[in-house]
Amino acid sequence: MSNDVRIPEDLYEGDEDSVITAWLASDGARVKQGALIAEIMTAKVQHEMIAPASGILKILKQQDEVVTKGTVIGQIS
Amino acid sequence: MIVTTFRTAAEGIAREQALLAAARPAVLLWQAQDDTIVVPRAWLNRAAVCTILPDMMRSGWHILPRGSGGGAVPQGPCTLTLAMIVPLSPRARIEDGYRLICGALSEALNRFEVASGTGAVAGAFCDGAWNVTAGGRKLAGTAQRWRTTPEGRIALLHASILMTPPPDGLWPALATLHCAAGLSQAPLRPDAHVALSELLPKTMRVAAFPGALARAAEDRLLRPLTERQRAA
Repeated sequence: MSNDVRIPEDLYEGDEDSVITAWLASDGARVKQGALIAEIMTAKVQHEMIAPASGILKILKQQDEVVTKGTVIGQIS
Repeated sequence: MIVTTFRTAAEGIAREQALLAAARPAVLLWQAQDDTIVVPRAWLNRAAVCTILPDMMRSGWHILPRGSGGGAVPQGPCTLTLAMIVPLSPRARIEDGYRLICGALSEALNRFEVASGTGAVAGAFCDGAWNVTAGGRKLAGTAQRWRTTPEGRIALLHASILMTPPPDGLWPALATLHCAAGLSQAPLRPDAHVALSELLPKTMRVAAFPGALARAAEDRLLRPLTERQRAA
């Protein structure tokens, strides 16, 4: 079973695009639930992305990619 | 002491992170003794940026990563940093955080008879819509970091204020960094910036400003960011 790492719909109000500014865990790394694994920037606001589960991280969207709310940027299985 | 002095910006950034981790309302004003250029963490993952770091060090500029958004900014004796840890209401907007910290700056500047506004400034470093400006020139830049905790959202609001004109060496150093980071923004213009020391009436001292800024920030700290306030 895998858990999506999804940019929450309620991360911020408005429809601005975001950019993945950093992955703080590598593709294939083992991550712990609650760990800070990525940073998303919107209008000079850095949002923290937390691992929704423990397991092996698969990165689906790379650093510097433009993303929107609801986008699945990774999976943890 | 109103302003906490650190030897390096790294110590100031670490203190901000500790306050954010504590997740309680707080105001911190700090200044670093060493000349530093602070960049988004991701920049240091770029090979071209890493390549130039030794040369930057030799020319007197430490390069440090930070966790809030934005671009490259100086932090050192010429700047004063205001950090605010603020609980966010569930429906808080990005603009709410910027209004809060820019409002604190604007109120403090008013006490020193300096009229200010907000907006982008062509040719400014780390340009954005929520610069604090005076006479159309950038006086301060702002950024935020939002964290979701089981108790709710909390924000680190951050403003870096030019207190005195930065050293001349800043501009070529920033241009080199921008080039290495692959930024395609307009060339930086030193005259797009202004320092507080250039704005204050002769009878007023720059050293008195942090006290006014701390009061203005603390006044706003405990006001929740609500839609009702946004509408007011």
